[in-house]
Amino acid sequence: MIEQFKGVVLVILLGLFALAGALIPGTQIAYAHEISIALTLIAVALGYRIYLHGIRSLFHKNVTAQLFATIAIFISVIAGFVLPQASATGTAEAVGYLTAAAIVAFIILAGMTTEDYIIHRTRGALEALIKMTPKTARVRRDGTEIEVPIGEVKKGEIVLVKPGDNIPVDGTVISGHSTVNQATITGESIPVEKTVGDRTFAGTLNEHGALEIKVEKIAEDTTLAHLIDLVEEAQEKKAPIQNVADRFTTYFLPIMTVVSSSVFAFTYFTIGFDVALARTVTVLLVACPCALAIAVPVAVAATIGNASMNAIIIKGGTHIEKLKDVKIVAFDKTGTLTLGEPRVVEIKTFGNYSEADTIKYAAIAEKFSEHPLSKAVIAKAAEMNLKIPDPTDFKTIPGQGVDAHYGDKHILIGRKMIETELSEEANQLMSRVESEGKTAIPVAIDKKVIGVIVVADTVRENSLEAIQRLKRLGIKTVMITGDNIRTAKSIAEQTGVDEYRAELLPEQKVDVIKELMKGSVVAMVGDGVNDAPALATSDVGFAMGAAGSDVAVETADVALLGDDLTKVEYAISLSRKAFTRMKGNIVYAFIWNIVALTIAGAGLLNPILAVVLAELGCISVVINSALLLRNKPKPFIQTKE
Amino acid sequence: MSNEKVILNALKTDCTGCSTCADFKADNLQHAIARLNGVSKVKVDEITGKTIIEYDMQKIILSKITERFEKLGYKVEIVSREEIR
Repeated sequence: MIEQFKGVVLVILLGLFALAGALIPGTQIAYAHEISIALTLIAVALGYRIYLHGIRSLFHKNVTAQLFATIAIFISVIAGFVLPQASATGTAEAVGYLTAAAIVAFIILAGMTTEDYIIHRTRGALEALIKMTPKTARVRRDGTEIEVPIGEVKKGEIVLVKPGDNIPVDGTVISGHSTVNQATITGESIPVEKTVGDRTFAGTLNEHGALEIKVEKIAEDTTLAHLIDLVEEAQEKKAPIQNVADRFTTYFLPIMTVVSSSVFAFTYFTIGFDVALARTVTVLLVACPCALAIAVPVAVAATIGNASMNAIIIKGGTHIEKLKDVKIVAFDKTGTLTLGEPRVVEIKTFGNYSEADTIKYAAIAEKFSEHPLSKAVIAKAAEMNLKIPDPTDFKTIPGQGVDAHYGDKHILIGRKMIETELSEEANQLMSRVESEGKTAIPVAIDKKVIGVIVVADTVRENSLEAIQRLKRLGIKTVMITGDNIRTAKSIAEQTGVDEYRAELLPEQKVDVIKELMKGSVVAMVGDGVNDAPALATSDVGFAMGAAGSDVAVETADVALLGDDLTKVEYAISLSRKAFTRMKGNIVYAFIWNIVALTIAGAGLLNPILAVVLAELGCISVVINSALLLRNKPKPFIQTKE
Repeated sequence: MSNEKVILNALKTDCTGCSTCADFKADNLQHAIARLNGVSKVKVDEITGKTIIEYDMQKIILSKITERFEKLGYKVEIVSREEIR
């Protein structure tokens, strides 16, 4: 901030001195010309940043607009002192050259400051994230609460977080109950319930209740800090298209040397020294190699910044270029397109028993079982607000079911336990359910079937939307899974993927990706842990739900911090837009330079007009690139397929 | 409290040297280093890449700081180190 303030002050000062220098000769003040020359020289000197940059670029064996500007301003100043001696007008003409130099310096410095400002704004996304972590934390020490700087909090200590405060550390809730908005980390705006045993992230917002959190990670070790690190590193990574721009910039010096010296020579021999000099200065000032150099890095930073605001981390410019070409997106099934945990999706009852009865007795029998299907039943019971007493006794028979007693009732669960007792209706239901790739759990009391609970891995709410969005971009979707064909088919139908491959071993998933990659750019979406090899094989590996899993964030090319699959489409369309803009900027900057050089060489511009043109060219490229930061996901309109 | 002041040269090998770009990179670098726990002062000269850092030696070691430079694509050359009060 202070730096920028200083920059603006410099520009204003330079402008004032230049203006004063230009106006004084018209007044009646004694020594007007001498004062004017002095003021103008101060103005020129205030543009020192331009000359430092210009000279620096020489050491980098590079050519920048500042170098040309430095030479041009230097020539003008010298001309201001040398040339008038040959003419009768004397000092008045010196003022002319010097004033031009000062105005040129003013415009360039103003341009540089504007660009700095715009570019600084591309950091906005990161700054917003950084601000989310509190600088202090309330820690319980020796029985009292004290507020300490975050850097002094130790692992294992207890931090107290009041409602409405941001959580300062990564840790586990040890007391309290609240809802926490984790949008900063996962991008999900709906708050998540947090109670004893749940993990919390630094930088998330505690909403209603007070929480006591046992510290696991602080400061730069937190998930949020790690994400910010990754974004910063990603923004520094070049996109391959940058090499095209760099090649142009390296040719710039030879081209400019040839152009400016031929313009000088030609004009000198056809018109004269004065005009030749002015025209050469104009040519030097109108060139704008920076527009070429800056087009890509700003676009890369803005794109990655924009993605990070949408809970997507694109790990460098290379991936932006790969993403724009993606033709096929392969999805892992379990945990990606689906929630990855079985849920009760249907309850069928027989006789006088209600759905609640069926769930209640099943839950009693399975109360102490760790089996995923049991968990689904118990979760359903909790959802239905049923009180589940302990069974009198129970026995789990692996691969078959549960045999339990509750009071005088004998509960049997599982097909194999009660096969002979199943009615025709129940049998039909179970065959139907199983052909859909779901699991049916019959429940019997005293050998009489009271109901069938249907459990299945359910499709994520936005999987269908995610697939449809991709289809609208003309992208083919493929689901790959280790699961059986029946289940795969059912999920494929529900999500609308174009194709599915089932019963694959992890290494076969890699083969499928390789096969898809023949002729197409393939992205693979998975959880980043179990399917890491397939992710690594694909052109672009997306890890979803990556927040909190360092492995997933590390292995992926693109990390989706939350569970929102629609972000796959957003990452691709954002990259397409970003690349189009990068390419457009390079072409535009290239043509701009050629046209500007031509008209300047033809003598149609004066130095001041030339420098205004050059700055406009450069600033428009910077703005065009920086605006990528403002890109937003398109609203989705559901259509019938 | 023992603080150290270190001066180093941060070189971005692939920088084109254009002023806007150099300012942009210097700005990012400055923020990235300032975020490190224990670093109290950072000043990056966008023209020369000369960087002055003050940090608390009890909280962070120099190699941790230079590692961050490297991760961001800079080559680091330490010019001087001195303890300050």
